Amino acid sequence: MDLTILLQLIISGLLIGLVFSLIAVGLTLIWGVMDILNFAHGDFLMLAMFTSFMMFNHFGLDPIFSLPMIVVLLFFIGLLTFRFVIKPVLGYPGLIALLATFGLSILIRNLVLFFLGPNYRVINQSILAGKTLSFGGLYFSLSQTAAALGCVLMTYAIYLFLSKSKFGRALRATALDKDTALLMGINTNRVFALTFGLGAACVGVAGGFLVNFYAVFPEVGLNFAILCFVIVALGGFGNIMGAFLAGILVGLVENVGGFFIGPEFKYTLVFVLYLIVISMRPKGLFGW
Amino acid sequence: MKKSIYWVILLALVLAFSSTAKAAEEIEVALLYPLSGALTEAGKRMKAVYEVAAEVINGSYDIKGVPYAKTEGIPNKGGAKIVLKFYDTQGSPEVGKAETERALQEGSAKLIIGAYQSAVSKPTSFVAERNKFPYLCGVSSSAALTERGLKYFFRVAPTDFHDSRMFFTFLDDMKKQGKDVKRIAMVYERTEFGVHAMKEVKKRIAESGGSYELVADVPYEYKATDVNAEVLKIKAAKPDVIIHATLFSEMTLFAKTYQNLGVKTNANISFCGGYQNPKFASQLGNTVEGYMGSCTFAEDFISKKAHLKQINEMYKAKTGMNLDGIAMEGFTTLFVAADAFNRAKDLSPDAIRDALATTALQIETMPGKGVKFDANGQNIWIDSTLSQIQKGDYKVVWPNEWSTTAMTWPMRP
Repeated sequence: MDLTILLQLIISGLLIGLVFSLIAVGLTLIWGVMDILNFAHGDFLMLAMFTSFMMFNHFGLDPIFSLPMIVVLLFFIGLLTFRFVIKPVLGYPGLIALLATFGLSILIRNLVLFFLGPNYRVINQSILAGKTLSFGGLYFSLSQTAAALGCVLMTYAIYLFLSKSKFGRALRATALDKDTALLMGINTNRVFALTFGLGAACVGVAGGFLVNFYAVFPEVGLNFAILCFVIVALGGFGNIMGAFLAGILVGLVENVGGFFIGPEFKYTLVFVLYLIVISMRPKGLFGW
Repeated sequence: MKKSIYWVILLALVLAFSSTAKAAEEIEVALLYPLSGALTEAGKRMKAVYEVAAEVINGSYDIKGVPYAKTEGIPNKGGAKIVLKFYDTQGSPEVGKAETERALQEGSAKLIIGAYQSAVSKPTSFVAERNKFPYLCGVSSSAALTERGLKYFFRVAPTDFHDSRMFFTFLDDMKKQGKDVKRIAMVYERTEFGVHAMKEVKKRIAESGGSYELVADVPYEYKATDVNAEVLKIKAAKPDVIIHATLFSEMTLFAKTYQNLGVKTNANISFCGGYQNPKFASQLGNTVEGYMGSCTFAEDFISKKAHLKQINEMYKAKTGMNLDGIAMEGFTTLFVAADAFNRAKDLSPDAIRDALATTALQIETMPGKGVKFDANGQNIWIDSTLSQIQKGDYKVVWPNEWSTTAMTWPMRP
């Protein structure tokens, strides 16, 4: 067994795992604060990728430069989702909100399908796309390396925001006990809205980077969403650090396990790992 | 007297309208394609090409080598027009089965054409067979589809068998020229299409008596999020040739990952799938320079058969894209249906089935003589060629009879 192949497997697993992490962090943030599983999360990712692609295609704006705009746009999409989809069903059984996001997911996907068509789109001439760094037989795709770094930075920024800022404390307080937070004068609706915005902004970052190495099409979000639901559960619902580490773990299991046991089993391995973990720790690796 | 003239005119008008009504009689065809879901793009392209084919059959066009183009409608059925009714399979075998049942229950269609993926063609054609209803398969390539002994199933497209035979004849040719082609890696999605393509490749390797060696057998899950493990497995095996049975989304992912992980090989050859989507070449540019694949239609053919230009322009006006092999197979399929309607003694399912079984349609739309089905319903007059992406265009490079451009070998010098 060639050592460089093994190292390459670990590097590739880490790089893609970090992208999974960021998508899952957005998802777990919303769950942790609001107890709502956002089924439209993958579609937010798709919207971010489509916006990035269109900015590149129509205005020649490289995905790396359009990234801040996409993050802001997704943040507002998150706010709007809360205002018009989630807020009206707050206070009703959780299943209603879950079904509302499920409906939103179908709506977004079909609107994109209707207005933009089903075609696959690929960006291949951006600053990051198709470029590779090579050291001692190891290859680092510039687009994946940048995506991984971006995801680490975004997750760290979220972590700092939650642990150091006043709003972060309000958010954590709301996550712990919504009613008591309300009694303490915290505007929980505002916290919920901003949480949805932040969750969507996370996939904005992930989508803005993914577009450099992944085809864009209306169904693209689904491919990632299912894996990210597993990551969120594996890391512990609502636990940001858990989702971050579980994403990396899933990336590594997929790559290293897939190579040694067989690529056709790489997703099976992830689900087996998930089943083992929840049978021993039903609240996930870092759940409490 | 004057009154009787009015009556005569009225009678003449009634007769004229009734004959027009007869001339405008319609023959409905049910088409099963993925018009939503992950394969919508492919389904919409197929819809466009069938609409072009129906336009040509129902109208009058001067296209050489294409029967039923000059005449309006189906000549032996009083010029009856073909009407298309699309049913959305969503790319799912279960939905496909339900839609087939629906088409049969509605009862207005005389023939079913479908489906895009082999995995959907298989169960939907079983439903048609159970109901003794003729089913014409346009593009699904799994050889197993015509190995089931069905009586009402016919396929126009070449199969994995034809493609794999063509690939290995090509590799034999390369071997004679002293090129390294012994070590083969096979990459395929774990679906009906991919698994059967793999089986055909394995058979060809076994038949070669040691001329070729399968050094990597790499199946992967359809809708993959990344293919790093797959590509590294291939890289570790150091193949001379990589053979793909892969649809568009994963094909772009593989191409980018080969580039990202520095995989070098002499040739990358694809079965019918993502490679044939014109966007693969136009959007991925240098990343896929030198990739090769089976091809039943390329723009190059227009220089060999100028009459195809008109069809290509009609298709391009609808889709903004040039015809590709899969689209051309669909186009030809509707002419096979038209020919069967024309020759069938009536439009009952059995009469149409019998007409399909005796098809011998000479049509100059694809390599080969046209369409003639064997006892299993497989077209035996079809041939395939090998195209290569060169500077963003698909160029036919093999065999010499069809090639217009010299091949680039190895694909990445």
